[in-house]
Amino acid sequence: MQDRPDAAELLEAVAEYLFAELRPEVPHEQRFKVLVAANVCAVVARELQAGEAPDREDFELFSELLGESATPPDEPDALAERARESAAELARRLRSGELDDRIDELTPRLAEHVRRKLEVARPGYADGR
Amino acid sequence: METAATEPLELAAGVRAVLDELLEGDPGGLELSVIPGGASRETWLVEVADAGGGERRWALRRDPKGSVSLVPIRDEYALVGRAADAGVPVPEPLAFEPDGGRFGSPGMLMSFVEGTSVPPRILRKPEYEGARERLMPQLAEALARIHSIDPADLAGALPAPEGDPALLQTEEWERQLDAIGEPLPAVELGLRWLRANAPEPAETGLVHGDFRLGNFIVDENGLAAVIDWELAHLGDPAEDIGWLCIRSWRFGSDDRPVAGVGGLDDFIAAYEAAGGDAVDRERIRYWEAFGNVKWAIICARQAHDHRTAVRRSHELASLGRRVCEPEWDLLQLVR
Repeated sequence: MQDRPDAAELLEAVAEYLFAELRPEVPHEQRFKVLVAANVCAVVARELQAGEAPDREDFELFSELLGESATPPDEPDALAERARESAAELARRLRSGELDDRIDELTPRLAEHVRRKLEVARPGYADGR
Repeated sequence: METAATEPLELAAGVRAVLDELLEGDPGGLELSVIPGGASRETWLVEVADAGGGERRWALRRDPKGSVSLVPIRDEYALVGRAADAGVPVPEPLAFEPDGGRFGSPGMLMSFVEGTSVPPRILRKPEYEGARERLMPQLAEALARIHSIDPADLAGALPAPEGDPALLQTEEWERQLDAIGEPLPAVELGLRWLRANAPEPAETGLVHGDFRLGNFIVDENGLAAVIDWELAHLGDPAEDIGWLCIRSWRFGSDDRPVAGVGGLDDFIAAYEAAGGDAVDRERIRYWEAFGNVKWAIICARQAHDHRTAVRRSHELASLGRRVCEPEWDLLQLVR
């Protein structure tokens, strides 16, 4: 056990410092880089807070779309790796053309996956913000 | 990049020698500084104090050492010259030096164009309010002029597409994605949609390839120059309009779909009035979908360059997490 603040809270604190305090103080041409750094901290903080749920949901979605009934592993790293593997298999099958007659069905389902990525990387984007 | 830190003295001497020839006289000691931005090519600001107490400025654009880009800089130099002839506002190309020449790596010296290319400044700063009003028709006219250039005049610089331009572009970006090896099912779906929905091959024209906010130098009067021609190719001119319309290039001004400055109806009217071919909406939608696929792959590639230590940068790294933005827009367009 680590003492508080937890990892996400620490990153949020760094993001706030970079964005609100440091950014106005640096030369103009460096400000964008500081903004990027602040955003990266905020993304990682949200990823930590989201935990393993997005990987689990992606793994289940990809398995369903591939027609496989697989049990997601409990261990988070293994889960993330399996989600990546099933994404790669889905990508491979799409490229080969064997899913061409399912494009209309797959489009909204893959939007579920992309929405999960956006919730970490850019909240609000999927809702037009 | 290391070259930026270790070479300025040598580079300044080379630029000075080139300017000596161009100006028919030694310009004196030059100040060189890197202009931030350029994703794959370096841009340097070249400055010298003139006798009258003012300053003379040029821009030097060159390949980072050992880099490979889509359009060699020698061809970019030729292209910018053709664009200038066609009345497109561009920095005036002044000199080209090959690999191992006086700029070190292949590079081109151009006139310096005053203004800003930073999208949020162009879209939000009060001093550009007048520019924003003029920008949309100016972009339409510049693009119509780019597309008026006869591909036959570019035969030495750009290869003619052998086949359907839409399918060739789709194949090109499939190759780019394969080189990264990142599993992106939404992008793969987009690539299949692009193959299935390719429009009738259009008459081949010059495509700028990166015609968007960020590659326009804007001053108080609006468009001052179109820059960054390294993605130029021969293909379907509508590709440039679709690219200009993707949400990523609106930088938050989503109520104005064309580059965050205008509406598509007005843009098309201005483009056609400036001599552009009649624009088909479905074709624009196709190229907008393509643009989102392309931008998603570029983001992934930049992050890959960071991860494989081609170029270490937190900016490039962060782009890996922006792949999902064009993926989302893509899936909205094709559904």
